[in-house]
Amino acid sequence: MILIGENIHILAKVVSDALKARDEKPLQELALKQAQAGVDYIDLNIGPARKDPDVMKWLVQAIQEVVKKPLSLDTTNPVAMEAGLSACKIPPLINSASGKQESKDKMLPLAAKYNCDVVLSVLTDAGIPSDSSSRAEAIMESVAYANEIGIPNERIWVDPIMMPISVDQPQASEFLEFMKILPDISPGCKSTLGLSNISNGAPAELRGILNRIYLAMVGRYNMYSSIVDSFDDELINLLRGKLPDITNLIYKAMDEELDISNLSKKETEIVKTVNVLMGRSLYSHSWLET
Amino acid sequence: MVRNLNFRIQGVKWPRVQVVNAFYLNPRTLESLNPFKNFLQKEAIMQPSDLFEPYKGEVKELTIGPSEKAVKVGGEKTLPFHAFEGKEGTPVKFALEVYDVPPEGWSQHLISSYSDVLSDPIAWANKCIKTYGADLISLYLASLDSENYDVKKIAENVKKIAESISVPLIVISVGDKDKDAKALVEIAKVCAGKNLLMGPLVKENFEEIAKAALEGGHSIIPQSPLDINLCKELNVKLGKFFPKEKMAIDPLSAAIGYGIDYSFSIFERLKQVAVIHNDAMMKNPIIANIGKDCWKTKEAKEDKTQGIMWEALTAFTLILAGANIVIMRHPESLRLVKKLVS
Repeated sequence: MILIGENIHILAKVVSDALKARDEKPLQELALKQAQAGVDYIDLNIGPARKDPDVMKWLVQAIQEVVKKPLSLDTTNPVAMEAGLSACKIPPLINSASGKQESKDKMLPLAAKYNCDVVLSVLTDAGIPSDSSSRAEAIMESVAYANEIGIPNERIWVDPIMMPISVDQPQASEFLEFMKILPDISPGCKSTLGLSNISNGAPAELRGILNRIYLAMVGRYNMYSSIVDSFDDELINLLRGKLPDITNLIYKAMDEELDISNLSKKETEIVKTVNVLMGRSLYSHSWLET
Repeated sequence: MVRNLNFRIQGVKWPRVQVVNAFYLNPRTLESLNPFKNFLQKEAIMQPSDLFEPYKGEVKELTIGPSEKAVKVGGEKTLPFHAFEGKEGTPVKFALEVYDVPPEGWSQHLISSYSDVLSDPIAWANKCIKTYGADLISLYLASLDSENYDVKKIAENVKKIAESISVPLIVISVGDKDKDAKALVEIAKVCAGKNLLMGPLVKENFEEIAKAALEGGHSIIPQSPLDINLCKELNVKLGKFFPKEKMAIDPLSAAIGYGIDYSFSIFERLKQVAVIHNDAMMKNPIIANIGKDCWKTKEAKEDKTQGIMWEALTAFTLILAGANIVIMRHPESLRLVKKLVS
């Protein structure tokens, strides 16, 4: 699975301060550390950057000085996006466009113009679809539009949009359902997800286990890529196939409800988490304790 | 959520949820099942009940009140009004609301049913029981809203009321986490052994109230803010030291026109999680405290018939969704709903 490191993010104080002060050092360090951790893309999230769209160009140049990885340019502002695209030496990823009219008009054409890959989410003017079939409907329309303006399926990374499990639990399994049908409705399209969103709102110390297990679960349905915390070693190891026992247990727990009475503490936690993510047991913040 | 639950007919697996939905969609489904039933009987293949795997979860039976006048609620092993699918529990129980000091701001057409007893909670409660047929009395601790309240006096008063009536007593505090904790802890002590049902307990005060309730031998009402995940969270925390069969959960009940759809879907999901999913943490009877919310609507305040219908239909709707206990205010709406569900 292609991993996109999420740690250069406007919501992190060190990042927003460095962007304001045009201080390259901390940002370059973050990029280097992520590259060393083994992610494939470095995500550059600058937020909407309404007042200062040129910051993306500056950031791209700063990061390219130290890292030879492709970048994922993450902003909703098409002006900032284009500023960044014009400076990229390696073809980057546009993160992201959607089926919203505004995005179709201004963001998607940039992918055609700069001949690069683009994340296309299932969001439309009607909002975020609530089940797998409305996700399918939304993405088919958006993909068709992208094809019309010259972007082939192979360059589209579909983002089915992950909702926090503490907000809308059934969405976790709807997402999996959608992943099963994606190859049929948009053959050749790639896929991606903003993984950390699944654990948004969950207790901080338990977010990792939700993230890791869910990523292994979507990985089973050929998820092509994911935006992840580069510094979650266990997640990277799991994804790189270094923890086969855990992966196998997750798959087994997906297929059937396992008897947890003879499992170790760690295995029990994995099975309970899979059960919550599959929608078999009702989520609460203390799902591991029940 | 219920996608994995299947039943079998002639070796083919059908998603059970579709069948359940069909029943919801068509109120006359039972009738429309008859030809099917006849066909099956004629062909001697199977009974309709053979089509269904029995539900796995049974709602716990909660006993309120001391043994000589105990009332039981819950105990069902099927969804509301789905007697054809499994064991129904005890019928829904109705409580009428009594204030420990005369209420303020009640409209004339509501208060007139109680005008002769307003300043005497015991007489008020007895009127609700003897004249209006309430199964339970729900005492609202309105005195906590006065400036110089004395929890000792309030608790003694609760004890006197509990001893003077022939049905079990529910005690509802004002919904201020500190006042509730103070008052309910004291009441739990003073009324030890009376097996009151008391609440609300929220995430900020559940520990002290539940501990006092446990020592005094009472049952409790954990309350969550219209959120099924937080409801479970509170149950999990309580379950670590409080007996699960001594709780009735309050997911919050909104009135018709004021958000009842949220309450309905949470009630419905709670019941499904308990009965279909057999979630060990969620098998508690549900309490719908609707009187207050119904009678503060402008519709209920401006017109008597409208108010009665508002309360009756709110109650009925939430009973359909799975309420096991309903707390109401107007004797006429109580009569209407009782007639409707019996």
